[in-house]
Amino acid sequence: MITAIGKKKNKEQGKNEFNQEMKSVSLAADAWRRLKKNRMAYIGFWVTVIYLAVGLFAPVLPLHPYAQQNTDHAYLKPSLRSAGIVELETRKAYFAKVMAKEGRTAYNQDEQAQIDSILKRNKTDPQQQRHYILGTDSLGRDMLSRTIYGGRISMMIGLVGTVTALLIGIIVGAIAGYAGGAADTILMRFVDIMYGLPYMLIVIIMMAILGRNVAILFVAIALVSWLTIARVVRGQVMSLKNTEFILAARSMGADPWHIVVHHLIPNTLGIIIAYAALSLPEFIMSESFLSFLGLGVSAPLASWGSLISDGVQGMQLYPWCLLVPGIIMTVFLFAMNFLGDGVRDAFDPQSKNRV
Amino acid sequence: MGKFIVKRLLELIPTMFVIVTLSFFMIRLAPGGPFSSERKVSPEIMANLQHKYHMDEPLGMQYLRYLGDMLHGDLGPSFKNKDFTVNQLIGASMPNSLILGVTALAIAVLFGISFGLLSAVCQNTWVDYTTMSAASIGLSVPLFVVGPVAVLVFALRLRWLPTSGWINGRQGWKTIIMPAMTLALPYFSSIARLTRASVLETLRSDYIRTARAKGLKNSVVMVKHVLRGALLPVVSYLGPAFAGIVTGSVVIEQIFLVPGIGNFFVKSALNRDYTLILGTVVVYSAILVVMNLIVDVLYGILDPRISYE
Repeated sequence: MITAIGKKKNKEQGKNEFNQEMKSVSLAADAWRRLKKNRMAYIGFWVTVIYLAVGLFAPVLPLHPYAQQNTDHAYLKPSLRSAGIVELETRKAYFAKVMAKEGRTAYNQDEQAQIDSILKRNKTDPQQQRHYILGTDSLGRDMLSRTIYGGRISMMIGLVGTVTALLIGIIVGAIAGYAGGAADTILMRFVDIMYGLPYMLIVIIMMAILGRNVAILFVAIALVSWLTIARVVRGQVMSLKNTEFILAARSMGADPWHIVVHHLIPNTLGIIIAYAALSLPEFIMSESFLSFLGLGVSAPLASWGSLISDGVQGMQLYPWCLLVPGIIMTVFLFAMNFLGDGVRDAFDPQSKNRV
Repeated sequence: MGKFIVKRLLELIPTMFVIVTLSFFMIRLAPGGPFSSERKVSPEIMANLQHKYHMDEPLGMQYLRYLGDMLHGDLGPSFKNKDFTVNQLIGASMPNSLILGVTALAIAVLFGISFGLLSAVCQNTWVDYTTMSAASIGLSVPLFVVGPVAVLVFALRLRWLPTSGWINGRQGWKTIIMPAMTLALPYFSSIARLTRASVLETLRSDYIRTARAKGLKNSVVMVKHVLRGALLPVVSYLGPAFAGIVTGSVVIEQIFLVPGIGNFFVKSALNRDYTLILGTVVVYSAILVVMNLIVDVLYGILDPRISYE
């Protein structure tokens, strides 16, 4: 609102009372300036950008196929050396253990044959020249590419969930706030009742009953998460609808739809964006939670939650299967949370220093 | 106050009604049924099975029957766990989940408030920075990462604590430490951050200046005036926190193999054990709405400015 008034003045005058040039500052530019001052949020912003870019460009990155299985490469350690060498070492270390147990010092025939076969494959098979810098999982799939593709799914669900929740929330909130009266009462009572529902439990039931499917996951998460934004938008709209500029618009004959879309919603945008930035990590958390329970995406598709769930199975011997997706996901959530806090402070300065 | 509690109790009825109705029809309208996965049986036996569980009646009739039984405290027989009623299954597992949840909540509240207060009192010192960094990490790391990593480090590598089990087993109370701490972590972090922010805000308020002007000792001001005022946002956070702990415990029970109600919940939803899913949802929701009521009442006791008229 303030920037809108500022803009108008600038067009007419362009100079302030000290005869200095005045430039209008848009909402986004103003917020960006404030965000840059908050160092943690700024770092969070760039980390998020990197994650999104990697997720977006995953198909053109030089990654091993995320669904391709290679049982020879099961559970290879993270290493910078080629897969063939790591496989040989892993096998030799295993044989050494067996030999120590049986009191032998030389390989038996079978073991020697296995080693020879690996050596032979190392020369001929191009797959042996792969580099698994983050190791492989139980089926010999590259952890790096699985984590990146898993992140794609997780981030996509986060984004789609946020956008859907915002759309429903804004529409319901704006109608309830602007129309008031019976519409408001009915809509808000509905929101109140929905608030009382244990929503994660309902999502679990929906996923278990309707089947594991990414589309259903989107719908399930989005359907139950628009409530808060509806309340926030309603509150904002109610406090704005009696201000002078709305009155002016109405007296000039603007229809309600125009007022809501062109005057009310833009003025609640700051709070909406702030809320969206904070709810994105929550969506990703919910999705991973479901995938961890085995109710999310199904194989060979992966998400961070399902990767972590797979990693838990063999974590004692192969801790990287748990730690790689765990750490990568945590770093992203960490960055998103700082960014979300920063964005809220930037777009909604009144909430500054609040938790 | 009494009037307010009665009013809120009456409001619980429509909420519970919506929950039960929604869950009932959502479960029933989905494809598949509790008997569809079993080996083929002759139509007569199937009809008998259907009849025994009243599945041959129209859906509306079944719904009314379920509501009626529920009002008498009977959640029906389990479809999949033969010879057990839902009441028995929930009765056996519920206490374990409650112990876990309440312990986690107690840890979160106790440590969260203490560290939040400490952080606010030592604002912008290393104490403050360390606590708040730890809280930020606690908020970002998902439970299902913390849990397995804790098992990996404390149980499998250091061998300090058992990997799983429950307090009635051989390992005793040691088994509850890791699940409760893991479950408490995100709520500890939120409560610490909330407490810090609201203590800092309260310290600037007029009534604290008045208290100091009266010449009260610093410790009295802090505990009697600041903390009481600062706890309000924390109390209102307890409702959502408890809801989160209840859902979080579904995952925690799976990781640490706690014999709680959360295990039933996912399993029964997956194999369409209609009565057991509904039973767990009803019990979970009842706990949640009652908890929200308690929070509202606590709020009124703590803040005399709030009137319930």
